[in-house]
Amino acid sequence: MASEDTCYIGSKTTVRGQVSGKQDLVVEGRIEGYVGLESHLTVEEGGTVEADVEAAVATLRGEVRGPVTAQRSLCVEASARVAGRLKAPTITIEDGARFSGEIEMDVELPAGVTPGNG
Amino acid sequence: MANTVIGSSIVVDGEISGEEPLVILGTVKGKVVAAGHVSVEAGATVEADIEGQNVTVGGKLTGNVTARERLELRPESKMIGNAKAPRIVVADGATFKGNVDMDV
Repeated sequence: MASEDTCYIGSKTTVRGQVSGKQDLVVEGRIEGYVGLESHLTVEEGGTVEADVEAAVATLRGEVRGPVTAQRSLCVEASARVAGRLKAPTITIEDGARFSGEIEMDVELPAGVTPGNG
Repeated sequence: MANTVIGSSIVVDGEISGEEPLVILGTVKGKVVAAGHVSVEAGATVEADIEGQNVTVGGKLTGNVTARERLELRPESKMIGNAKAPRIVVADGATFKGNVDMDV
């Protein structure tokens, strides 16, 4: 259950537009548009996010379409279905998760190795 | 059923629609369409038209409200906009500017 310090989008609620802020956000419903948080985003199983997402930490358990950028870490858990470009310093994809798209981490490549294109 | 909560430091610019009770502690701009109760809590800022079954305003609201059952303006509330509801309560201390339509 959501406390006062959490922002919670219930399973029968849809938000179209921009959601931004500094509080943790838990999505069991649907968000379309843009999400920009300086905190933790959790997309629960059953939740859907079709948006450009920026957050400090992102935990994905539901359906996500769109680029997701996390400043600290990003975790695609087993129940998640994700399509888009993921960018974060550390990314975890659990066994069972479905993901289609591109992953970008800031990695120092060894000398002589040039970044490929996909 | 759990409430949807828009936290105090959250800004939503767009449309919120749903069948659950909605509690707004932060900022909402745009439009709110709810099948259930909508509560604009003290400290919240809403610049949106609101449709709901019951609408309770304790914060600042700029926009038109259509409540299918009841609209309540709490003592600390500030509302600018038109109110349409069969039952309307304006508490002592509430600030309100707009038209009232009770469908009489």
